Amino acid sequence: MADNKKIKRCPVSLQPDIEALLAEGGLSDADFAPATKQEQEDFIQERASVSYWKDAWRRLRKNVVAMVALGVIIFLILFAFVGPLLVPYGYDQFNKGAENLHPFHYALEDQVRLEEEIAARTETEVLDEETLMAQAEAEKGEPLTSVEKAIIRAQVKASSQSSQSAETVDENALRKELGIKKKLFGYSRAELEQKAAGESVFPHVFGTDMYGRDILVRVMYGARVSMAVGFFAALLVLVIGAIYGSVSGYCGGRVDAVMQRIVELIYSVPEMLVVLLIATALKPILTEYVNSGSGGPLKSFVTILGPNLISMFIAFGMLYWVTMSRIIRGQVLQLKQQEYVTAAKALGASGGRIIRRHLLPNCIGQIVVTTCLQIPSAIFLESFLSYLGVGVSAPLPSLGSMATDALSGMYTYTYRLIVPSVVLSVMILSFNLFGDGLRDALDPKLKK
Amino acid sequence: MSEQNSSQKLLEVKDLHVSFFTPAGEVKAVGGISYDLNYGEVMGVVGESGSGKSVEAYSIIGLLQSPGKVIGGSITFEGQDVLSFSKAEMTAFRGNKVAMIFQNPMTCLNPVYTIGNQLVEALRAHDKNISSKDAEKRAMEMMEMVGINNVEKRMKQYPHEFSGGMRQRVMIAMGLICHPQLLIADEPTTALDVTIQAQILELMKDLQKKTKMGIIFITHNLGVVADICDKVSVMYAGKMVEQGPVDDIFYAPAHPYTEGLLRSMPRVDAESYERLIPIEGTPVDMLNPPEGCPFAPRCEKCMKICLKKMPPYVEVGENHRSACWLRVQERINKEEA
Amino acid sequence: MGKYFAKRLGMAVVTIFLVTCVTFLLMNAVPGSPWLSEKTPSEATLAALNAKYGLDKPVIVQLFMYLKNLLHGDFGVSLKMQRNREVLSIILEMFPVSAKVGAIALCWAVLVGVPLGCLAAFKRGKLTDSILRVVCTLGISMPSFVVASVLLVVFAGGALKLFPTIFDASQGWRSYVLPCFSLGFYPMCYTARQTRSAMLDSLNQEYIKTARAKGLKNGKIIFKHALRNALIPVITYLGPQVAFTLCGGFVVESVFSIPGLGRYFVQSIQNRDYPVIMGTTIFLATFIILMNVVVDILYKVADPRISLTKGGD
Repeated sequence: MADNKKIKRCPVSLQPDIEALLAEGGLSDADFAPATKQEQEDFIQERASVSYWKDAWRRLRKNVVAMVALGVIIFLILFAFVGPLLVPYGYDQFNKGAENLHPFHYALEDQVRLEEEIAARTETEVLDEETLMAQAEAEKGEPLTSVEKAIIRAQVKASSQSSQSAETVDENALRKELGIKKKLFGYSRAELEQKAAGESVFPHVFGTDMYGRDILVRVMYGARVSMAVGFFAALLVLVIGAIYGSVSGYCGGRVDAVMQRIVELIYSVPEMLVVLLIATALKPILTEYVNSGSGGPLKSFVTILGPNLISMFIAFGMLYWVTMSRIIRGQVLQLKQQEYVTAAKALGASGGRIIRRHLLPNCIGQIVVTTCLQIPSAIFLESFLSYLGVGVSAPLPSLGSMATDALSGMYTYTYRLIVPSVVLSVMILSFNLFGDGLRDALDPKLKK
Repeated sequence: MSEQNSSQKLLEVKDLHVSFFTPAGEVKAVGGISYDLNYGEVMGVVGESGSGKSVEAYSIIGLLQSPGKVIGGSITFEGQDVLSFSKAEMTAFRGNKVAMIFQNPMTCLNPVYTIGNQLVEALRAHDKNISSKDAEKRAMEMMEMVGINNVEKRMKQYPHEFSGGMRQRVMIAMGLICHPQLLIADEPTTALDVTIQAQILELMKDLQKKTKMGIIFITHNLGVVADICDKVSVMYAGKMVEQGPVDDIFYAPAHPYTEGLLRSMPRVDAESYERLIPIEGTPVDMLNPPEGCPFAPRCEKCMKICLKKMPPYVEVGENHRSACWLRVQERINKEEA
Repeated sequence: MGKYFAKRLGMAVVTIFLVTCVTFLLMNAVPGSPWLSEKTPSEATLAALNAKYGLDKPVIVQLFMYLKNLLHGDFGVSLKMQRNREVLSIILEMFPVSAKVGAIALCWAVLVGVPLGCLAAFKRGKLTDSILRVVCTLGISMPSFVVASVLLVVFAGGALKLFPTIFDASQGWRSYVLPCFSLGFYPMCYTARQTRSAMLDSLNQEYIKTARAKGLKNGKIIFKHALRNALIPVITYLGPQVAFTLCGGFVVESVFSIPGLGRYFVQSIQNRDYPVIMGTTIFLATFIILMNVVVDILYKVADPRISLTKGGD
């Protein structure tokens, strides 16, 4: 058929032609015998029924971006929780003599060569006061007058100043001239000497800060703090939101109306501002509580976590659960109408049991996604607060506070700003991308 | 078949195959259906949800969206090959020669534009030269024609100010505004109240008489078909299992599935002791359809061959054919006798 | 409409009231008298000061005094940063600077974000979409201090000295570029993401199918039918973004040394100048809450389904 020329693939039609069929004559009476029930049942080729989670996992696996993000998250978890075990520095360990190290170094012999070269170049200029005076005395043959001494001193001073400035200006150019190349990782001079002596020295991969603290280790701890905050905040939000939402949705009526009014109220509160306020105010309050005489389990709990983390969690617990509770309420309202809930009720199941056994499992997909996306937003907020100085308290490092600390020398020591910023951004990014992927996978309706 | 009355043929669909390429695999939504529709003829397409009736209609008007794709067969409209249309040709064709109305009038009208705006837009899409005054006049005429009163005011209203039945009237007016040769109505009454359903059907019958257009009426309700159609195609699992004039289908169904459909339909003239009998079982998995008749596992009269091979079409009357091995058996018996 | 407006406004007033109370009580619970920080004054002076500022009365009385003063526009006086200066006058001096930077940032965010979101929606599943998706997710993943300081290092410090490192209004537009960019980057990406999903949602609606069946051209379907519907939900996201831009201002203003309210707020937190913290919080919260009301009403106006049915939701 000419019509079919543009059709790329035309599968053989299953429908045979009656005349051809009869002409072929391949039919027997046995073919027209009634089929048994069993045969009929066997006929349907059951597709292996794919469970919800398997199906979601299959979709997720196909999402390259989400899988890469998952890989990065796993890497970051290892980085933050296993990494510090491998690096022999502590996050608050001051490494004497290793202050302000860049994340690169020059080999020991290169450093020596450079110094010799500088010394050689400045030798003629660098004048020693004593020898100059001795020289002048020898020339003159009698002791110098105080005026002459002053002149010599001034000369020496001037020349040393000029040579110093020349030295600093020249150092980089000189390195280029001598062909000295930067080597990866930061080592202090002393550490390089130790290394040369055959000891094994762990490098400062990302350099050190002004107190000689290893930035790599601090970033690891910072990432650990961020992730822990993100995870627990999400958990807190989940628990409060789930309880509130399911109670509100399940009870309905006046209870629901009142509870939703409260949600609306909290919804219209500017969260970041209030969180900042709570963190600001709670820090001194809790600090005083910790320092006060009385004991008890609550106090030791506060002491362990630190007042700032507590205040952050309180803020989350107060404000951030509303979205979660709304989602869960919506799901509950929808599911409440369905028959199996009526059936469970008819069988005399209690309200709590219905929520636990029937309602929650059915909205698990959305809950997982919302929880997962809560983690990056908590990390985001933590870094914001830490950056403003009301988040995680020193000496515990946080990626946000590391960035603040780096601001003062950000043009000279840019890496101090870049390293925590990149780790933080990559962390939030991968959680966000993974969460997006999860949503697409768990909710095929949205994907469509 | 013969080409002798091709001049009367409005639409000719031949061995149409449509598949959806989903991540789980290819779903053969339409597996080789053929039919003709003459000028001024009303054809009902009956089948349960997922039987491919909407998909088949969408491919006529080029509304199939990825991952759906026509992979074989041909669609000829007034002698033109629809499948070979370019994008621009298809755009000019849609709404102009063929119009379509949908199941749910509540969601089919854009909520943020007035009814008048949407009607005029449909007209101007195909008639660039018409002045906005004329277009509005024409839109108002159409609205009157579909039985909407107080048109001047109604034109300026938004869809949410219309009831479901009124919206469906608007949809019909919008479909007919360019005088199409063919109207595809995809379950136009399903979402409406029963009383409104009857009104809309009445309206469509009226309009069909006035305009002499062809209609493809997609529904899962056989009662609706009896009311309005000249002929009926019964679809099951992407196949056309039976096709014929409406009376033959109702009084002499030649496929067990059609019989089942008829038995599951409430009738006014039923004897008091008759009960509605539902069709047992669920439709086959379209992802990997078995060889053989797709209805076989639910069929009461299933035979061994039904499970092995797809039955051929058998002419059981004038323009009435059925794809069932029972009919083949009857024919063999008749030839032997 | 009027009923809705009244209800919404009433809600806002209640929220503002609650935020004010919480702010006051929190700040009051902070241990230590505000006078203790520098040199310890004598008992007598302390008592006199307490009496002067009403600090000797019960907290509830103080709260009502504070609320009463607020209604008269009296936000108290700064105790530390600009000793004895009226908090309100500080706010009124500094807020316009923040508002200007914030408004520019929000404008470019919306003007760029909406088209980018549409682009991503049209190219769904294609490379452009994936790239935009990752970039926009990156945008909402980078805290503003990261964006601001990276921009500063790259464009203002180092080799490219394109823009001033410190905000200086006399330098004209060049001073605004980096702060406004860093402040608007998050809202831009956020808007793009929301527009994309709203657009996809809109494109999946049945009325798009109707429009296609009518034989409309693609451009008309997208710009007339899909976009208009997609923009309505995007409006609702403007409210949170006003809040975000203002709070992002805390950081960005500090990084660029912009003499705005945000930087001042941060400094007052660092200096524990409680009247300033309180006043600024209440002022900003009120502003944000009222902006949310405005946005909500805009939303109702933009959607004909709602504006014409009285009081419906």
